[in-house]
Formats: sequence, C-alpha cells, structure tokens
Amino acid sequence: MLRLSKVSKIYEGKVAYRALTDINLEIEKGEFVSIMGPSGSGKTTLLNIISTNDMPTTGEVEIEGENPHKLKKNALAKFRRNELGFIFQDFNLLHTLTVEENIVLPLTLDGTRVKEMKEKARDIAESLGISAIMKKRTYEISGGQAQRVAIARAMIHKPKLLLADEPTGNLDSKASKDVMKMLEEINDKEKTSLLMVTHDPQAASYSDRVIFIRDGKLHSEIHRGENRQAFFQKIIDMLSLMGGDGNDFSSVRV
Amino acid sequence: MTFRQFAFNNVLRNKRLYIAYFLSSMFTVMVFFTFAIFAFHPAFSNGSVNQNALLGMAAAGGIIYVFSFFFVLYSMSSFLQSRKKEFGLLIMLGATNKQIRLMVFLENILIGFFATVGGILAGLLFAKAILLVAENVLIISESLPFYFPTLATVVTFGSFMLLFFFISVFVSFILRTNKLTDLVKGDKQSKGEPKASIFLSVLAALLLLIGYGTAIYVEGVGVVYAMIPVIIVVTLGTYLLFTQLSVFFIRRFKNNTSIFWRKTNMLLFSDLSFRMKDNARTFFMVAIISTVAFSAIGSLYGFQSYLTKGVKEMNPFTVTYSPWRDDSKEIIENDINKINAILEEENVEAKMEDMELTYYEMLDQDRQVLITKASDYNRFAALIGEETLNLEKDKAIVVEQSDAMLTQGTKASEVLMASNVPLKSGEEIKPSHVIKSDVLGELNGYYVVNDDIYNQLGTVVRSDHSAAWKAEDGQTEQVIEAGRKLDERLDHKAFSVEYQLYEINKAFGPILFIGLFIGIVFFVSAGSFLYFRLFTDLDEEKRKFRSIAKIGLTETELKKVVNRQIALLFFSPIVVALVHGIVALTALSHFFDYNLTVESSLVLGSFALIQIVYFLIVRFFYVKQVKRMVF
Repeated sequence: MLRLSKVSKIYEGKVAYRALTDINLEIEKGEFVSIMGPSGSGKTTLLNIISTNDMPTTGEVEIEGENPHKLKKNALAKFRRNELGFIFQDFNLLHTLTVEENIVLPLTLDGTRVKEMKEKARDIAESLGISAIMKKRTYEISGGQAQRVAIARAMIHKPKLLLADEPTGNLDSKASKDVMKMLEEINDKEKTSLLMVTHDPQAASYSDRVIFIRDGKLHSEIHRGENRQAFFQKIIDMLSLMGGDGNDFSSVRV
Repeated sequence: MTFRQFAFNNVLRNKRLYIAYFLSSMFTVMVFFTFAIFAFHPAFSNGSVNQNALLGMAAAGGIIYVFSFFFVLYSMSSFLQSRKKEFGLLIMLGATNKQIRLMVFLENILIGFFATVGGILAGLLFAKAILLVAENVLIISESLPFYFPTLATVVTFGSFMLLFFFISVFVSFILRTNKLTDLVKGDKQSKGEPKASIFLSVLAALLLLIGYGTAIYVEGVGVVYAMIPVIIVVTLGTYLLFTQLSVFFIRRFKNNTSIFWRKTNMLLFSDLSFRMKDNARTFFMVAIISTVAFSAIGSLYGFQSYLTKGVKEMNPFTVTYSPWRDDSKEIIENDINKINAILEEENVEAKMEDMELTYYEMLDQDRQVLITKASDYNRFAALIGEETLNLEKDKAIVVEQSDAMLTQGTKASEVLMASNVPLKSGEEIKPSHVIKSDVLGELNGYYVVNDDIYNQLGTVVRSDHSAAWKAEDGQTEQVIEAGRKLDERLDHKAFSVEYQLYEINKAFGPILFIGLFIGIVFFVSAGSFLYFRLFTDLDEEKRKFRSIAKIGLTETELKKVVNRQIALLFFSPIVVALVHGIVALTALSHFFDYNLTVESSLVLGSFALIQIVYFLIVRFFYVKQVKRMVF
C-alpha cells in the first residue's frame, strides 16, 4: 500500500539540517500504524513527506505503486483530494462554513452532485454521531465534536490512506478515547489504511503497530498482540528505553 | 533598552509591517504638497488669476486636508486592528495600558515624521510634472516655471506634523484594550455573520429607486431643489444596500445548495458573507467617495463642454461684425477696413461677406421681425459651407437656430409659422416650413424669402449691417491673436469665436484643474481603502488557503477563488458608484437641457478603465503572496 525506500530529508539554510536519514517503511493495506518519537525526531517531517506536502531530498515514496511526488502540481492536489484523507491536531476546519459544509468541502471542489453529497454527508455523520450538529458553525461545537467532523471530512471520499497528525493532541482524555475508538472502527470496517503520528501512548495503543523514530532514524517497532493493555505497557517501556521518562514528551512539536 | 528605544526599534526593524501604513500616509502628504506647490505658485500671487479662483484653491486645499485627516485615521485604525496579537503579548509581559498607548503614540509620531518628509521629497519630484500639466490645462498667459517651493514646504510640513500629532493623541486614546485572551487570539474569533432584516432590505431598494427616479424625472430648475433630498435618500439607500440588501441576497444564495455547493462557490461566498460586516462599511465609503469624484469631474467637464460647444455651434463664422444701432455708414466702413487690416496683420486668410439685415413690422406680432432674401442668405451659407436654399417664387420659410441654447417658453419657429409675411400690395405669403441653421445669428428666428418677393415687402423699420469672415482651417493661434486685437480696438462690435472660447477656457481652467485634482485624490484614496481592506485579511486568507491546500486545492482553483473575491471587492462599490454617477450626470444634463452622453461616458469610462487596471495590478501581487505561502 505505502512504501518508503531510503527517504532522507535535508533542510537547506544557513545551517543545513538533516531531519530524516534513510527511512525504509512499508504499510500493508488495512493496517493501522502509529509513529512515535520525541520532539524533533522527524515524525512530522515524515508525515509531511508521505502526505505530499513536502518533498523528500532523496529516496522514493510509493502509494499503491505510484509515486505522488512525480505528479504535476494540479494533479498532486487532485491526488491528495481523492486518494488521501487528513486529520490534524488543530482540526483545520473552516470557521466560515457550517459543519455539514466543512464535511462536503472536498466533494464540492470535485464537483460532485449535491444530492450525492447530501447523502454521503448524512451517512457518515450518522456513523460518527454528529448528525445533530450538522447545521452548527465550527465555533459552536466542542473539540471532540470538531475532531469527529474532521474525521468525517477526511473519510467522505473513502480515501485509500488516512493520515492523522496528533489527532488527540487538543482533546481531553474522554474525547481522545472516543476519537481513537472511532478511528479503530473505521480501520476495521472500511479497511482504510491509517498512519498516525502521536505523542500519546494511550492513542498509539489502538494501532496494530508502533514505529519509533529518533533523530531522524528508525529506532524500532513493536506489534500489538491480543491485549491492548499489554501493548500500552510495552509502548511505555519502549519510550523510557529510548531515553527520558515515558510521560515527559511535551505536546509542542517542531 | 529604554522604552523609547523599544518603540522606535519596533518600527525600524519591522519595516514590512509598517510599510503599507507609511506609504499611504506619505501619499496623502505628497498629494497635499503637490497641490500646495501649485496653489502657492508665484505666478498666481501677483494677481493675474482672479480672486475667485484663488478662493477656490484655498477651499480645495482645505478639503484635501480634512480628507487626509480621515484617511490617515482610517489607515491607522485598520493597521492597529491587525496588531491585536502583538498588544496582547505585550500586556501579557506586563506592559501597562499607558505604556501601550505611549508606544502607539511614539510609533505614530515617528512614522508621521518620516511620511511627511518623504511625501515632501516625493512631491518635489512630481512638482515639475504637475506644473506642466497645470500649464496645459489652465491656459494661462504666463508659464508656470519650476520654483523652489519654500512656502509650500513650510505649510505642508507644519500642517501634517500637526495632523499626525492629533491623530497620535486621538488613536492612543481610542485604543481600547479588550480582554487579554481576546487580544492574543487576535482575529481568529468570529465577528459573527451580519443579519439582514427584510424590512430594511426592501427599504434599501425602495430608497434607491425613489432617489434615482426623482433624479431622472425632474427637469430644469427642479434639479436644484431635488438635489439635497435625493443625495440624502441615495446615500442612505447605498448604506442599506451594502449592510442589508447584499447580506440578504448572499444569505438567500447560501441557502440554495445547488449553487452554493458547486465547486469553489462555497469557499468564495462563505467568506464573503463572513466578512460582509467589515466589507459593508468599506464598500459604502468607497462607493460614496467615488460617486463624489465621478460627479464632480463629470459635471465640471460637462459644464465646460456645454459652454464651449454652445458658443461654437451658434457662431459658425470666425469673426462676425455687428455695429451699434446708430453707427453711420462711414464708421461701419471704417470698422470693416480695420478688421480686414487686423486679420492681414496676423496673417489670417479669410473670406468675407456682408449684408443688410432688414427688420419689418408684423401685423399680429409686437416685435420687429427679420426678413432676408434668399440670395443674401445663400452667400452667408456658402461661406461656411452650409446648404444653400433654392426658393421658388412666392415661397417663404422660417429659419431658427439649432437648439444648442434652448430658451424657455414657446419656440421662435412656432410664433413665426403662425403668422404670414405681409407684402406691400396687401397680399400675404404663408411660410411653408421650418429649417434649422446657424447662418445668421438671430435668436428669435427669421424668414427667408425669394428675391422677387423681397422687393415687394413693406417699409423697412430697422436695418442693421452685418459682416462675417470665415478663416481657412488650421490658423487657430493667429485667429486667437487677431481676436484679442479685435476685442481691444473695436469695443465689442466684432466677435471672434476662437478668442471667446479661449477666454472661457482660461476662466474655467483653474476650476477644472482643481476639480480634476480633488476628484483624482478621492478616487485614488477610495482605491487605497480597498487595498487596506484586502490586505488586513491577508494573513487569515493565507492560513485558510493553506489548510485547504493540505486537503488538496489546485492552483487554478485557488486562483479562481482569489480572483473572484478581489473582483467582487473591487468592482461592487465601483459599479454602484458608476450607476450613481450616471444618474447624477443625467440629472445634470436635464438641468442644462443639454446632452451630456459623450462627456459622461468619457469620464465614467476612463474611471472604470483605471479601476480595471488597478484591479489587475493588485490581483497580481495578492495572488503572488498567497501562492508563495500556500504552494
């Protein structure tokens, strides 16, 4: 589904900075993978490269056998719109639009028929439990609801790959749990591949596999067994092993 | 680092942030200064220009100054709006309100000082150009050489330092410090969508219709009485149009999902309605200011063309001579020789014709009426290349002047057509039809009869001599010079059109120039308001487009949205102003009873063109900025 081979990223500037070094990574169809690592380890850079918002300096990215970085600008925008789904820490909803309008935005840009958009929006809102707030504006809803709206927007065109950047970063523990359950369910039911960057071991414990990176290099990875509780423990252990305490990762990323 | 240093460095090291405010301030100073250079020109102070023109210039200077005050105030407040976050940060770090006010005050004084100096320097560069333009528009006998404008510099510097001082005081007092969190969040908060009431929307449409209807319907002197009420009604209507009616339409539009959800419409219109509260005020101001500019320039230009065209149409001959009533044959002969001599002196090649204008008593009219024979008429007509008449025996026709200058009441031709031409024998000849021609200057119209009939007319009551010259084309300058001499030496008996036009233009030049100047100042500042409106929201726009681009937005789509957004911003107030201008100029043409279509379309068309060019330039930079941030 997704394959990265020898991806490196160097930020040019007065002081050149090597953010990623020779990353090799493969994600199967329908897999749910988390990427963890301390601040400045290159998680976000990695996600930006996969989400085609940034170009790798060397190396290749393939999504379903296609290298999106080779596409022209306009085609790339269409690719993002049709093949990928995005969930952000700060939701990235447009406050000038209502919830419903936010959800159908990617379809509107594609010129889908209104009836079809309405149907899709209704279906997805129902499954995410946000039908009641469809006519509200984004500043009238809670953070948890906002993130669910963002998930609805990311899922409305049934993307092949869903990319989540700290989806629980701005949420309280209850809302975090809800959102993670929802993502797990989507992954389960729709067989959507899911790649998530997170600091939160609790959130990471919902995934099938956690990849740890440090200083721009792959550090290790662990797989989830039957028990989520045990998996959570293993993640905590790994984080402490990587240096520092398991819970001292600030939520401010580079 | 003292606080003063902090405030100064804050400006000097943040040039990009302050540049827009600085430039607009500098622009106003420059405008005022160039005007001052012109107004204080030594050529005017020695009394060659009449007192009224000087008074007009002083008033114009005052208007520009007052307008500058509001313009700078407006740019200042929109500039401060975009810096909320910074103030929030300072307060968070423990700055007191007083310190923030002091900072704003110091910044303003600093910017004001440099803007004044910069504006004066830039004005000096333009001084020569503006004087050249003035020289050509004004038609003054002296040239306007470049001079070192000490007085203008002192006046500009003094008045603008004063202006910036007052604005600094003013702004630092009205700088309200809201809750800290609101400041830090800055512009992320929603100002709420404006709501439209149906009643007020209908009222807006009604007010505009009534205003327009009245303005177009009234004629003649009625225009003057209707002017003030119409202006009030239309201004109010315009305000409601932008704050209510437009909001009403946008909301209706948003509810129609089949249009609103189509492609990029959603992005465009959601933003439009969201910003409508801010936009409405700007739109209103821009529309009114532009209307003032359009109408002022349009009426002045129209008035000038009304004056000159009328004179030109009524006087097809280069020089006409009509002696006083009691002048003897010798005086007349003498005068004609004098005119010929003057024309020769100035090397004007001209042909001459003369005739006796004979007036007769009419039975049923209480005035004497001019009757000419066809051969005389034809000689004059041939001179200016007009159609000659071929009258049959016992036919008479009525001639009236073309209606460049319409008099009130019944037309001359109607009166003449109603009565017959009496002959010596007691017979009468009925005039057959009316023609329009300017061959003879007789406001009340006259009869032309066949030469045979002419000899059978009754006794001549009064007889005037008339002579006319027609110069060959392309001798305008000599003709004007000759006209001046004729005017001096023949005490108003000889009339030269070219010289008369020259005199009208000379008197009218300063007024036209001042009007043009103020109109352009208003129009340019209207453009600046739009520019400010656009760039205040630039950061938020960039953020918005970036977040959409992450989901996937092609460059063409981005361009499309931005393009339409700017087009709406730039053209909706101008279109309203153009419509206002058309109505105002129509009313004006009703007042003069003179067709102003050509003049109006020329003035309004050139403004529309300028706005289009301005739009293209702004769009280029705006799209570039957004694109650099997004892609």
